[in-house]
Amino acid sequence: MSKKKFTTIYCLSLLIPLLLLLFPLFSLGNRATPIVIGLPFSVFWVILWIIIAFLIVLALYRIDPDKDETEGN
Amino acid sequence: MADWQIAMVLMIGYLIVALVIGVMAGKGQDKGSLNEFAVAGGKLGLIVMWFLMGGAVFSAFSFLGAPGWAYSQGAPALYILTYTAFAILPWYIIGPKIGKIGRKYNIYTVSGFLKKRFGGRLLPILIGLIALLASIQYLATQMKGMAYIFNIMTEGRIPFWLGALLSYGIVVVYVATGGLRAAAWSDVFQGLLMIIISWVVGLAIVKQLHNSVSGMFTELIESNPGFLEIGNVGSTMSPMAYTTTILVSLIGFLMWPHLFSKSYASNARTIKKTVLIYPVFALFLIPLLLVGFAAVNVVNSSELGSPDEILPYLITTALSLPGWVYGLVGAGALAAAMSTADAITHSASLEFTDGVIKNIKADISDKSTLLIMRIGVFVIGALAYFITVFGGQGLIALLLGAYGSIVQFAPGVYGALYSKRATAPAIITGLIVGTVVNYYYQLVAPVTPFDIHAGILGLICNVVIVIVVSALTQVKDVKIAAEYRNIG
Repeated sequence: MSKKKFTTIYCLSLLIPLLLLLFPLFSLGNRATPIVIGLPFSVFWVILWIIIAFLIVLALYRIDPDKDETEGN
Repeated sequence: MADWQIAMVLMIGYLIVALVIGVMAGKGQDKGSLNEFAVAGGKLGLIVMWFLMGGAVFSAFSFLGAPGWAYSQGAPALYILTYTAFAILPWYIIGPKIGKIGRKYNIYTVSGFLKKRFGGRLLPILIGLIALLASIQYLATQMKGMAYIFNIMTEGRIPFWLGALLSYGIVVVYVATGGLRAAAWSDVFQGLLMIIISWVVGLAIVKQLHNSVSGMFTELIESNPGFLEIGNVGSTMSPMAYTTTILVSLIGFLMWPHLFSKSYASNARTIKKTVLIYPVFALFLIPLLLVGFAAVNVVNSSELGSPDEILPYLITTALSLPGWVYGLVGAGALAAAMSTADAITHSASLEFTDGVIKNIKADISDKSTLLIMRIGVFVIGALAYFITVFGGQGLIALLLGAYGSIVQFAPGVYGALYSKRATAPAIITGLIVGTVVNYYYQLVAPVTPFDIHAGILGLICNVVIVIVVSALTQVKDVKIAAEYRNIG
């Protein structure tokens, strides 16, 4: 995979969880009930997507073509 | 021993350890090297880098401001989690690129980075000045936090001016002697301390006030409908304000000189691995939000000077906690404030020397530059100290105010990295107009159009100007523009 393609995939795949935490899409998670694992739904929703974003970055790192790059210049 | 005595002993003990670690870290390194002082020779390891970036985020704002937001605003406090988790992600892409450009052209600041690409003296001088002002504002919030903590945890026995002087004095000493490496190693110690303390104390407070987290939220939903939602009846913030507040913090985050210039201090691999584990730092903030939610309906807001006082108020007044808890929270809050203050003091001095002084008087040797930077640490420290002791305003307004102007660097930085067409006049006019618009809506206008954050309004004008003026002017140094774009 080329570096340019990786950059595009990186940006797009992390934009999705971010947009879900901003209005207008945040409306999906913007309510107090039900209570999930002890937290109001809005709080749970934010934490959920942060964890998903974390997993996405981990996965992206594995497919990064120059993750082991040693400075070329 | 009385509670306040135990607290004072613990906090002073903490300050001594922080000083020793900071001074020791700089030992054995080349004292006369500008490169070592500015970017630790470009060789910081992963763990140190992680805490350096994390410590900068875990500030007095997170320790005092986050519970304050949760307590007074409710759900809008979630903005803190969202921006902390996402703001670092672009660094994975731009960090290694900035690092390579920096090593190629021997750059260690934001102003140096933009000067090389756009040329001229006006731009670096402007960047240096804005960075200096924003940093002093930011430092003042940290120092206020430190002084306040000292004051309340010793039940008023250590006055405001002395608390600020003690804790910030130590920061100034280890930064001036050991440079970035000293700041980094003290951040490892301070980072661990505040994470552990916030979880232990946060959950203990929830348990004592409400038995369980879910019990607390069930009561809160019943008694304050809308408080845990945004923009609905009973909420304290509109959706537009919420979204643009996140955006301004998100875009501005990496433009802060103390974070931007860390790109020069490490290799691509370390930068990427730092980004990988970083969102976890956002989750460390959760117990601090829980503390704020726990205090709703328990503490009457008229008992507090400002919402930021909620965590210390709970510990010293509302709950009868033992003295060692005072001391631990005191030490944790000091750690949070100091690990931010050291990085900012360091970078403000670098940015001002490199951006302003070196562009007014051109021929300064590396040795004198280093000396000016060390002196700068003391001067900036003193300025921030006087503003803290004699000036007022709430913690958060200060932080967001400074953020609003720093975010105006973004078009210049991204233009330098990815555009061949962006020109110097475009970036300069954009920066000036963006900053003026931000200041107008933040300090003069009572409301902003559509409730959009002032920084974002400034940024919109900034970006439009950059695009239009770039189309009308010619890039002077086509070779450098192409190299910036193609490196990495």
